[in-house]
Amino acid sequence: MTGLDVAVTGLGLVTPGGVGVDAGWAAVLAGRSAAAHDPVSAGHEVTISCRVPGFDADALLGARRAVRLDRFSALALVAAREAVAEDDVTAEDAARVGVVIGTSAGGGATFERQHGVLLADGPTGVSPLVLPMHLPNMVAGQLAMEFGLRGPNLVVSTACASGATAIGVACDLLAARRCDVVLAGGVDALLNPLTMAGFARMGALSRRDDPATASRPFDVDRDGFVAGEGAAVLVLRRAEDARADGRRVRARVVGYGATADAHHITNPHPDGRGVIAATRAALADAGASPADVGHVNAHGTSTQLNDLVEGRVLAELLPSGPLVTSTKGVTGHMLGAAGAAEAVFTVLAVERGVVPPTANLTTLDPRLELDVATAAVRRRVDLALSNSFGFGGQNAVLAIAKA
Amino acid sequence: MYETLRNILVDTLKVAPEQITPDATKDDLDLDSLAFVELSMVLGKEHGLHISDDELFDMETVGDIVALMEERAGTGR
Repeated sequence: MTGLDVAVTGLGLVTPGGVGVDAGWAAVLAGRSAAAHDPVSAGHEVTISCRVPGFDADALLGARRAVRLDRFSALALVAAREAVAEDDVTAEDAARVGVVIGTSAGGGATFERQHGVLLADGPTGVSPLVLPMHLPNMVAGQLAMEFGLRGPNLVVSTACASGATAIGVACDLLAARRCDVVLAGGVDALLNPLTMAGFARMGALSRRDDPATASRPFDVDRDGFVAGEGAAVLVLRRAEDARADGRRVRARVVGYGATADAHHITNPHPDGRGVIAATRAALADAGASPADVGHVNAHGTSTQLNDLVEGRVLAELLPSGPLVTSTKGVTGHMLGAAGAAEAVFTVLAVERGVVPPTANLTTLDPRLELDVATAAVRRRVDLALSNSFGFGGQNAVLAIAKA
Repeated sequence: MYETLRNILVDTLKVAPEQITPDATKDDLDLDSLAFVELSMVLGKEHGLHISDDELFDMETVGDIVALMEERAGTGR
């Protein structure tokens, strides 16, 4: 047990449910899927995605700023502004404020577009901004420039666990006293043709005709995930500092487990060994037992394999039967943003005593003995887990406790 | 040529129109070296004016850039 105790003092969210924490939370509570046919993927095998509705980077950030940002950085900047508006980290010693953001591929859309320019126009047609817009590290750099933060500035990439991994790394920076405050989160905006074609070709995406019912975690008829985009940023401080400052603490991150399956490039280990180890590590951090877990925001992608392995592990590890949900039924799979956005949803569930539903769950896969919420449930939750797993077998589990 | 430059600055580089005057410097408009690469590309591709980013960067003001554009157009290069 490490006694990890990190306060969440600011939240920012941009999801397919809308721009802002309130919009995202309302969509998730309503179980309202954001999936729709996407013109960008017209003519593809799969055309369904979950975009952030009404996201106008020019209007939100200014055209001069936005023209030099890939969409992934723009999404993250907007989420960070909301979080910083709640906890003004610019008032701190800037050298002690860090930034850790997770992303699976950074500005992949810019890279893809400019590759098209290279093929069509040759090298002199390529934009000088391709690298400043595409490089994954740029999102953390942009946040540092935006708020004048001069502490450790990192981007981590663990595929679809990236957002949760970033929060875990931020907690480690705080515990090691390398920072006093960290902006931590995740982002991805990869609904570009190449990425969508790649996911479709590997058979990961749902092919249902009806977008609204395509993402259906833990349902017996699930057939793949719906790709989404989004960003989430949390302001994190040592809980002792936050209490001493009299700050509003939304919830606490009390545990973090990070493991690898060491098994396969896309499939989870059939025994869920990496997930089990990450869950145990997070609980050990928290000094908690499996019986203490009241809620799990599952990775729950809506793929056959993930949901089966994760569901079996949850049933085996947590026999107390916590209320399980996957918010991906609403948001789709926001890839590198998913873990951070779901950490935000878990913070809100713990803070407000409401577990959101799993949208589109009609018939639970009979192989899973889980208590899955199909409607919003009002319930006090003292300790919750937020699960995130990435291609390559990278796993991150966060334990989040009531303030 | 002034209008051509002004339109590029507004449309491509997203400079606020009210900031652009003949006397405005690159610092006034917050134009860095990358901006001059973009400007050089648009001038060459869309207007047939082949002026390197280094040549543009050496200009002090919007008026100086316009003069260079006119000179280059006149020589037909």
